[in-house]
Amino acid sequence: MSTITMKPVTMSTVIRTDNLVKKFRRVDALNGLNLEVPQGAIYALVGPNGAGKTTAIKILMNIFGATSGRAEVLGMDSKQISGKALTSIGYVSENQQLPNWVRVDAFLAYLRPFYPSWDRELENQLVRQLALPLDRKLSDLSRGMRMKAALASALAYRPRLIVLDEPFSGLDPLVRDELIESMLERAEEATILISSHDLAEIENLASHVGYLDQGRLRFSEEMPALVERFREVEITFDAAPAVPGKLPASWMRLSSSAAVVQFIESQFDEQRTSAEIRNLLGEARSVTFTPMSLRSIFLAMAKSGRDAA
Amino acid sequence: MCYSTVVIPFHVHFRPGLSLYEQVVYAAKKAMIAGQMRPGDPFPSVRVLSKELKINPNTAHKVVTYLITTGLLETRPGIGTVVAVLPEASAAERTQLLGQEIEELVVEAKKLGISLEAMVASIGAHWKRLGGDDKDTDDSGRGGRGKR
Repeated sequence: MSTITMKPVTMSTVIRTDNLVKKFRRVDALNGLNLEVPQGAIYALVGPNGAGKTTAIKILMNIFGATSGRAEVLGMDSKQISGKALTSIGYVSENQQLPNWVRVDAFLAYLRPFYPSWDRELENQLVRQLALPLDRKLSDLSRGMRMKAALASALAYRPRLIVLDEPFSGLDPLVRDELIESMLERAEEATILISSHDLAEIENLASHVGYLDQGRLRFSEEMPALVERFREVEITFDAAPAVPGKLPASWMRLSSSAAVVQFIESQFDEQRTSAEIRNLLGEARSVTFTPMSLRSIFLAMAKSGRDAA
Repeated sequence: MCYSTVVIPFHVHFRPGLSLYEQVVYAAKKAMIAGQMRPGDPFPSVRVLSKELKINPNTAHKVVTYLITTGLLETRPGIGTVVAVLPEASAAERTQLLGQEIEELVVEAKKLGISLEAMVASIGAHWKRLGGDDKDTDDSGRGGRGKR
């Protein structure tokens, strides 16, 4: 009836890590990471600096070995990822090493024969869309232009898995938009793992979000579910309420002044949350529940993590 | 292959923390009811919607599927998806599209301790002010439907 094709419902897992641990001398970068990225997802890996995002990605790409635990990528042990396996993975990182001495066209021409699935038409499309200057040396390109060249070279062979480590950092909004558009055009046929601090950018793109902190996932879930369960709560009372010492574990960062109590509810359910507020704090003049951006959720998690530490 | 700028015929002013899918559906419905998109007008494809609004293709897909199953869009072989001939939206349906805004207004009013009567009176005053010189609000009570 409709001409729309549905994505297959059967979801398999493209990335899975099992209790991944990575120690650098005295620093524990990963502390038992269990990450699962389903097929077709745009999975955003977020977390404070030093949380272990880049380390996790480098283990997945077989750039680092793990201290213990294992990682599976596209059904393979990550330790086997090399040569042929890399032709189905497109990897771009913030500090990508590129052969600086060659021109953009030579760079693309050099890569082509390594990838049986390289698509010349897609390559041309990416070059046009990203406005890549083919006759310039990579060393002469701006940071944004280099990222665009790296992305074009990672997408042109239609990889089944695209891994982007902080692709937007330090780039202007126009370049970000261009990168996002090129990435989204591939999203229907690929699984994407993206680590980023640019939360406003990825908020509308991500299907899943994982919050990494101190080498461990504090949550990993679908974006709509995450957005549903977090609310900023503000309660106004006619008279100062007595705040009991024991509060629900899902209430984060509670603060109160004479007549107002504010907190972040991390397990929001309008009826249950309202009932808890009535039972614990008494009748209020008004209660407001405000949905939160990914950025506010990130800040709440990061600050509460620091409070707990 | 040539590149032209594809225009999404409606605006989505994304508000963080709300369901993306619902926000796009509402924006599209508003545009149809307001006449920004007319029956037979092409509706952007999933890919264009995703790329232009910078949203996940699954979300874009869900939006288009929903609009088709609710009869607001039709698929025409060889053309793609077009806006369907819509039944005249009732006043209730039109009002429903402002549900979010009205709820926010009510919450703020309650916080400030404003009574319902005072709120309605204030809305009436603003209505008059923005209505300009034509002594608006015809007696049939279906304001805002006049010819333009």
